[in-house]
Amino acid sequence: MAQAEFSPGEEVDFVVVGSGAAGGIVARELAMAGLKVVVLEQGPYLQLADYTHDEWLINENEELAWGPKKGHPQTFRKYEHETAQVMDDDPLTYAHNVGGSSHHFSGNFWRFRPIDFMERSVLGEIPGTNFADWPISYDELEPYYTKVDWEIGLSGLQGPWDPPRSRDYPLPPLPVKSSGVLLERAAKALGLTAYPEPHAILSQPFNGRAGCIHCGFCLGYACEVGAKSSTATAMIPQALASGNCELRPMSTVARVETNDSGRVTEVVYWDENGVIHSQKAKAAVLCANGAETPRLLLLSESSQFPDGLANGSGMVGKNLMFNGATSTAGMFEHPINAHKSVPTTRVIHDFYSIDPSLGFYGGGGIDERHLARGLPMAFAMQRSRFSGRSWGSEFKNQLAHEFTHACSFSGHTTSLPLSTNNVTLDPTVRDKWGRPALRTTYMDHPDDLATMKFFVDRAEELMEAIGGTNIHSRWDEEGQTGGAHLLGTCRMGDDPDSSVVDRYNRAHDVPNLFMVDGSSLVTGGRGQPTMTIMALAFRAADHMIQAAGRGEI
Amino acid sequence: MSKSLITRRDFLRSISDSARHSLVVLSLPSIALATQQARAAQNAGRNLVNLNSNEAAELEAIAARIMPTDETPGAREAGVIYFMDNVLGEERSEVLPALRKGLSDLQAVANARFGSDLLNSLSDADLDTLLAEIEDSSFFGTVRYLTIAGMFTNPVHGGNQEEIGWQLIGFEDNHAWSPPFGYYDAEYMETGE
Repeated sequence: MAQAEFSPGEEVDFVVVGSGAAGGIVARELAMAGLKVVVLEQGPYLQLADYTHDEWLINENEELAWGPKKGHPQTFRKYEHETAQVMDDDPLTYAHNVGGSSHHFSGNFWRFRPIDFMERSVLGEIPGTNFADWPISYDELEPYYTKVDWEIGLSGLQGPWDPPRSRDYPLPPLPVKSSGVLLERAAKALGLTAYPEPHAILSQPFNGRAGCIHCGFCLGYACEVGAKSSTATAMIPQALASGNCELRPMSTVARVETNDSGRVTEVVYWDENGVIHSQKAKAAVLCANGAETPRLLLLSESSQFPDGLANGSGMVGKNLMFNGATSTAGMFEHPINAHKSVPTTRVIHDFYSIDPSLGFYGGGGIDERHLARGLPMAFAMQRSRFSGRSWGSEFKNQLAHEFTHACSFSGHTTSLPLSTNNVTLDPTVRDKWGRPALRTTYMDHPDDLATMKFFVDRAEELMEAIGGTNIHSRWDEEGQTGGAHLLGTCRMGDDPDSSVVDRYNRAHDVPNLFMVDGSSLVTGGRGQPTMTIMALAFRAADHMIQAAGRGEI
Repeated sequence: MSKSLITRRDFLRSISDSARHSLVVLSLPSIALATQQARAAQNAGRNLVNLNSNEAAELEAIAARIMPTDETPGAREAGVIYFMDNVLGEERSEVLPALRKGLSDLQAVANARFGSDLLNSLSDADLDTLLAEIEDSSFFGTVRYLTIAGMFTNPVHGGNQEEIGWQLIGFEDNHAWSPPFGYYDAEYMETGE
């Protein structure tokens, strides 16, 4: 069936803003339930022929697409007393295309665990932070994690400390790489356990899609065979085929309009040519990511909502969390060829929760990677990770050896929610549409920095245990200056005074407005949030469908 | 391109395996395709378009110290200068004025020190001495960036001719691989650990 077509003046059931990890799922679920849906996506609808392994274009010229040069500047500062500056690279990284960042991720799909939803109760208050329990438990979300497994397509093997699951993974794990073997051997030597990394990448053909061909271009690249389980591959085509969904790419939302009774009436957007349109809908779902969703709410202020739409709590844009990231490189005697296949194949979760007696909060996982995502240009661009001058014969010969013989053990860690870490509207800088630019204020909590250091130490021990040489670690000791995990900025909760959406992702203050994406997360997990974003999307869509059936949207 | 940009990216790359740089924006595909087609036509003739022959010879002399020709081919054999010429007309056109200024500054130093303002005529050792003194400068950072990019780029952009750079480090854009991928997983397949 051809995709639906609606006129902007026709009131559809739902308008969904954003077509990424959450938006693609929400649109598909609503449309397949028979509801009329319009999806507005600010980026293009890329097709297979548009995908390329061209590192110069994709990596080095990202600003051709959506950075400051393209009219999308962002500003950054560490502290609120500073004036935020426009950055050469946008600090908040996300893909602008149908499928959003799910088109470009490497699909490391860790479930959150029961502890993630109730950690505040277990550990108590962390002064100066907004550390809180979720309003829902792992058990309530579990059926939707399983739905992600089977609807999106996951490969994996239940690990020794994994949370309980109601159904096996649909596909076996991807084959182990040399770097994964090294991590597994190192873990064994230290009495730890490495087990197969779960992936939203198909290890075998599934649901009419091909299995992974191990080309090595996962991170930052769209999958040329459709083995990566992006919503552009796994969800959007089904949404369109339902005949109930119209996808409008290159559509940038300006505002969400409300009426005198405080209900959403329509969503205003620019098309590719800068022509303004307005789509009427019974309800709106913002799935624009943890940066763009709060920005849109702040842009949608009115006399009735002077601090931004749905912001009675004052929490819109606050509690931004990136997750911490560390990298410990080592060299080995024989070829590893970590540039082949998926980025990582083994993960250690023995440090999911760091012993509180160490005096700081935190936890995470360690997996193995190539030093530069397996990209030749990016690898050589680095100053030598190990030693010496970054040019000349010696450097050149080092590169020749290191590209195939090095790998990294990488930490992925917790971030605490803080009011002072946030996205706001920049008071002076504007984007090409004239909208205030996204302004990020962010400084990692001391516990987050201590956690990263803890993981660097563990990764170095692992490297030493397996005989790695030239061991060298890097992490943002002075605080991270950007992120791709954009979490916490419209947090979920039962209390309208301290949260933005309720336990079903409905705005506390606006009855027919929903926010579903990384912004909903109350805590940021251990470094791989997309699995949980997708599970929340399936769950929220379920409740939207039920509410629509009762006439309650 | 500021030095800070290069430095920041350099660092991001190093932790890129993790969260920060994992999600990179795709270029608009129509631009990508047009660029590639234009590049293919341009490379066929090996004509310089944006640099004059003197500038090209001087920049190539520096590039050849960054990626020297020794037991293995270097920047000269990889055609790095054609990559530079290409991108200095488009994606990095904004750095061309600063690059020219930096080049003439370095030539002036060469003249004062060695009595020749042609970098291309200096001995490798003399040129290395000059470059070592400015290796933290924005000018050197930019030339290094362009040299590395040209050495390891997809050949469609003019550098990495005959995949010389890729062969050097053991990279192949094979599009499909099957296990074993390396030494240790081959061992693992045999022994199970």
